[in-house]
Amino acid sequence: MPTSVCTAKASYKKLPGVLELNDTHLQWSQDGKGPSVRVAHSEVAGQWRLRRVYTFVLILLRKKPFFRAREGAAQVRLKVALNGDDTGHSFAFTSPKAHIEREKFKAELTVIVSRNRSAQDAAARAPAAPAKPPPVAKPVVAAPLQRPPLLSQTPSRAVSVSSNEQRNVTIIPGNDPATDVRLRKTILMSDPELGALHRELVAISGQLSEAEFWEGREHLLVSLAASENQAKGKPGQMVDPRPETVDGETKIVMTPQMIHDIFDEYPVIAKAHRENVPSKLSETEFWMRYFKSKLYYAHQASIRSTAVQHVVQDDPILDKYLEKIDDELEPRRQRNERVQLFVDLGATLEDHGETGNEKDVTMIAGRQRGALPLIRKFNEHSERLLNSALGEIPAAKRQKLTDENYGQIDIDDLHDSESSAGIVLEMQDRQRYFEGGISNTAPEAARKPMDVKTLIRNAKVNMDNWQTNLSQLKIEKQAGDTALLSMTKNVAARLDVKSRKNDIPEGLFRQMMICQTATNEFLRQFWSSMYPPAAEVQVVAVATPQQRAAKAAKMIGYLSKTQEKIDALVYMGPQNNVDPTRIEIQAMKPVLNAANRAIAFHRTKTSTTKPAR
Amino acid sequence: MKFSIDDLPIIFPYDRIYPEQYAYMCDLKRALDATGHCVLEMPSGTGKTVSLLSLIVSYQQFYPTRRKLIYCSRTVPEIEKALAELKRLMAYRVECAESEEAKAKERSFMGLGLTSRKNLCIHPEVSKEKKGKVVDARCRDLTNAATCEKGRADPGSVDLCDWHENLGNMEPGSLVPPGIWTLADVLEYGRDHGTCPYFTVRRMMPFVDVIIYSFHYLLDPKVAEQVSKELSKDAIVVFDEAHNIDNVCIESLSIDLTRPMLDAAGRSIVKLGDKVDEYATAELIHTSTYTSSRIKTTNSSKLLDEDLGSNASSPHSSCRITVLPDDLLNEAVPGNIRKAEHFVAFLKRFVEYLKTRMRVLHVVAETPLSFLQHLKDITYIERRPLRFCAERLQSLIRTLELNRLDEYSALQKVASFATLVSTYEKGFLLILEPFETDNASVPNPVFHFTVVITSGTISPLDMYPKMLQFTPVVQETYPHDSDTQCVFTTGASDFPFSPVSDSVYVQVITRGSDQVAISSRFEVRNDPAVVRNFGSILVEYSKIVPDGIVAFFPSYLYMESIVAAWNDMGILNEVWKNKLIFVETPDANETSIALENYRRACDNGRGAVLLSVARGKVSEGIDFDHNYGRAVIMFGVPYQYTESRILKARLEYLRDAYRIRESEFLGFDAMRNAAQCVGRVLRGKTDWGLMVFADKRFARADKRAKLPRWINQYITETASNLSTDMALTLSKLFMRGISQNPEENQTGISLWTLDDVLKAQAKQKALALEAKEAEEDESPRVGTPPLKHEASPCGAPNL
Repeated sequence: MPTSVCTAKASYKKLPGVLELNDTHLQWSQDGKGPSVRVAHSEVAGQWRLRRVYTFVLILLRKKPFFRAREGAAQVRLKVALNGDDTGHSFAFTSPKAHIEREKFKAELTVIVSRNRSAQDAAARAPAAPAKPPPVAKPVVAAPLQRPPLLSQTPSRAVSVSSNEQRNVTIIPGNDPATDVRLRKTILMSDPELGALHRELVAISGQLSEAEFWEGREHLLVSLAASENQAKGKPGQMVDPRPETVDGETKIVMTPQMIHDIFDEYPVIAKAHRENVPSKLSETEFWMRYFKSKLYYAHQASIRSTAVQHVVQDDPILDKYLEKIDDELEPRRQRNERVQLFVDLGATLEDHGETGNEKDVTMIAGRQRGALPLIRKFNEHSERLLNSALGEIPAAKRQKLTDENYGQIDIDDLHDSESSAGIVLEMQDRQRYFEGGISNTAPEAARKPMDVKTLIRNAKVNMDNWQTNLSQLKIEKQAGDTALLSMTKNVAARLDVKSRKNDIPEGLFRQMMICQTATNEFLRQFWSSMYPPAAEVQVVAVATPQQRAAKAAKMIGYLSKTQEKIDALVYMGPQNNVDPTRIEIQAMKPVLNAANRAIAFHRTKTSTTKPAR
Repeated sequence: MKFSIDDLPIIFPYDRIYPEQYAYMCDLKRALDATGHCVLEMPSGTGKTVSLLSLIVSYQQFYPTRRKLIYCSRTVPEIEKALAELKRLMAYRVECAESEEAKAKERSFMGLGLTSRKNLCIHPEVSKEKKGKVVDARCRDLTNAATCEKGRADPGSVDLCDWHENLGNMEPGSLVPPGIWTLADVLEYGRDHGTCPYFTVRRMMPFVDVIIYSFHYLLDPKVAEQVSKELSKDAIVVFDEAHNIDNVCIESLSIDLTRPMLDAAGRSIVKLGDKVDEYATAELIHTSTYTSSRIKTTNSSKLLDEDLGSNASSPHSSCRITVLPDDLLNEAVPGNIRKAEHFVAFLKRFVEYLKTRMRVLHVVAETPLSFLQHLKDITYIERRPLRFCAERLQSLIRTLELNRLDEYSALQKVASFATLVSTYEKGFLLILEPFETDNASVPNPVFHFTVVITSGTISPLDMYPKMLQFTPVVQETYPHDSDTQCVFTTGASDFPFSPVSDSVYVQVITRGSDQVAISSRFEVRNDPAVVRNFGSILVEYSKIVPDGIVAFFPSYLYMESIVAAWNDMGILNEVWKNKLIFVETPDANETSIALENYRRACDNGRGAVLLSVARGKVSEGIDFDHNYGRAVIMFGVPYQYTESRILKARLEYLRDAYRIRESEFLGFDAMRNAAQCVGRVLRGKTDWGLMVFADKRFARADKRAKLPRWINQYITETASNLSTDMALTLSKLFMRGISQNPEENQTGISLWTLDDVLKAQAKQKALALEAKEAEEDESPRVGTPPLKHEASPCGAPNL
């Protein structure tokens, strides 16, 4: 029996039925019948087109309201395209929570589609590139997974091994290439400098490939994806459709989200909607009636609304759902759960019989008409928001404090903070960390069992006379002075630079900057290919030595042109009234040095490796 | 931490101690040694309860007499907190005890908390009842002596409570294992073992070392005798937050009667009459039974029952009214109400009289004496039988074995009224108010019997001695004779609070960003500009303050109208963007749930705003420490409603008796209240919070002078007259500062380690020695009074 991931009421070809996604198939069955549409996961090719959005415009002119509705397609649809079949299937969600359900399906299908894509890619690649053993012994998920976890099951952060192909930059699991491109775009747009560099090197000159550019910057993508994936809580505001006046027309604009919120907030309306909408009223009629009805004014619960109430007409359908206004001192909906005794005000009230005189007028609650329902609505709304994020309070926890939980009466200050154990640092591969430290310093000494007594004795001997030693300690005056002097100079120089006006013309300056950042990027690429970073967790497939060598050579090619570029800039100097030495020596020298060093390093490296072959 | 004060070894359940706590314990210790009443004060939120319990338990465990501790608190949450504190202390003591023997001794220490049946019932049906009164009545029906006897003799004939029955099979004195039991613990134990938690506590009371319950059980004459009379004479009685005592006394001696109540009483009398007739015709009881109802006489007391120990009367709503002065107790019930029929007729006449009085359409205020005179002129009811009214009704109800006592509650109230009115003269007043408000046209008469002496007249500390004189209750229950000691503790103190860094920031906002003055003064409070400015304070603070914000309003009426206005103005929508909103409602349970959710939102980081009322339920017993209250905003000055008749009567009395001007008293009372609300947000010295007083009147020197010193010391000149935008800028600065200030090490200064304690003791000893020597040199015969400073009330009246 395949487990169902999500189900929803949906019509297909105008027949009502149930759409279900399980872990192998997407299937739809007409009410009361077996599945009539059945699509294996592997067939789903993607794309859902969303049709929305319906807007009601309620128009109130002068005092006599009349209504007009502008309506889009009122259905929430999901279209599933299939491999090898462009027409696909189109489902319309029919339940009141349609778009939520649709979103859920969409999320799940996204995963499936992207998985299908990568599987196809992998299949295409498979003959070309014979499978290599995973380069690093690490929990890496093998390429096409047997059954990768669906989104709702585990948001896995494991790295899927992407291809060795240079062009493919898929990095983050669970994202299809399209999302990935979007992520990269977002990053480039939000960071103008990086964007300029990217434009310069990748888009215009093509000196670097997209993949090369992003290599070593994966963390940006990962963090952006993570922050995007973080589930956002519901916004706190209460749904409160209010008429807006535009050009003499008063309208209320409704969005599907608002309708959903209204149903959430007022179950009565959801009930009315369920019972009336397809059968007695159309969607539009329903909402138009609602905004004219007493129900709406009762729900608005503002002080003003009580004044309006008597001008509102009766509505035979919706008035049935009117409830008594909840403005008694005791709430209409009694709640029996017992709260923690630390906040139980009722217990105090019942602790002893009533005594004393009654409170004066201002201290009696419920005097202001309409305020109590409003207040209750606030409390309920807040509670609903909390519960949607945290879940309900388990009954067991309510009843009683855990014995160890004295947190509420504890005074933190009075604990000796030094004597506490502190918080243990959670570290990955802690064992290895310490091994490394030991082996570097003195592997043999570590192996030899140490005599604690001698250690202590030695330490003690060393510590003898420390006071006199300390008092005898003299620091060469000159050294201190020079240190101070150099520091002062440094500060002065910086101040000097800061205070000096930047008189290099804009255009030249920008070119200088580009030259510098580009060279830096080449250097980064070069050094990272020479010394691949100690494999960080989430990095892409590690390149092979040959690839790295090729890349290094390429970078050296670029780097060796640095001199020319700088010469060109220096040449441009006099034309722009800038002292060429300033450009050459002060501005570009460090870069040039770095480039030359890299070139020299590369030369020695290649000359040493070549004879070995 | 272990140290000793004089020769008493103290175990304090923390590694550090505040100097204030140490001083407090020293004072308390000396007071206990001297066996006299004492008043101790300490700033709120500095660990009063733990210091007090730590010292007293050490005292109890060290000296062989093992005096019992009676700890009175105000609200159930506070009772539960004190119990939890005690439980933790005892766990710590067990841990610290050196020998196995000592450990056993600590383990056998017993502490319980008492509250009503409603809070402790676990009977599946009875506990479902919503009203405490009904729970009481149903419980009594299931557990009173007569029913039990019948049920046991003939199982199945009457309903009995199994949980109560199970207790009967157990050894008295070991209904629960020794240890400290919080209310929640007792409930759970009862559920697990099928025993009744309420009667467990009631019956264990003679055997425990510590009992914690609310003021009422000791002070309210209607309750005290039943609950507290068995308590031994040498007990140590502690009143926590004693500045509330006066209110409790006033409340328990005041009573209101309304027209519907009188009608209900009338119906009850008819029913009672019927019952009496039935009884008489059945001749089950000879008339002589009634006639012998002479309190404290023995021959017929069987029927007047002494079934207290086993069940019957509850702490609340039970009918035996007063612990009356001795002369009364020894008096016999007057002859003209001894016979049941006569008594019923007597009640009928009295109720009719009250009804006639209520027909008057103007306000009447009179003294009890003139009321009694008028009563006598009209109905020939004398004062003496009236005094026994409650007592007589109680005995009659018991003799008739009436069920469902809650139906008689109105009658009981009338009887209490009769007794009170005829017992007390001075300082009491009767007020008849035919209309609810001045402009109401439908009469809704209320008869207030009220205490006009109020405590605010003088500093609370000066008040207690007076009060001990004033309430006969207190006089009788702890007579000056015995060794009973009362310890009054209070947080409403004038002590300077030695600050750690600047953890509190007090601001007075007098105008909005638009420079319009803000005030909750009646004339301007509904002015849209003021409402908007109040709103923008809330909005802006909700943007910058993390976690919880508590806001207090001067009255329910104002809170409701302002919340509605804010909603209509869209101000609350701005707040919703930043924080959740919870509001105090008239229903206690509803508010508790809101509070619980408020705390969850604060813990979770979502943050929330709690809107509540300065004299309301929330302000009385809930703490908003740490993240539960990073800012507290006082919207307006919490004045009492000056049009209230009772308040007017009190003010008049104050003027006549003490020459205190009305405005002085009102201002003092409002400021004391504001300070109490604001003081709820701090616990411990490193807790930090913003305190915002939003009303231009707070800037006035005379108002500020009435705030306690610990708040006043934080109001800098700059912060005493701010506009909203300035206040916000300063608040941001403050919060940035406080979050960057990681623990300046205060150890040794405002936090003591054991070494610091020892050092302080050594220093003190040296000083004492010096003083002694100096004294001996000068005048060897004059000794200094040992208790001088802790018993000294703060000298001058605070007004």
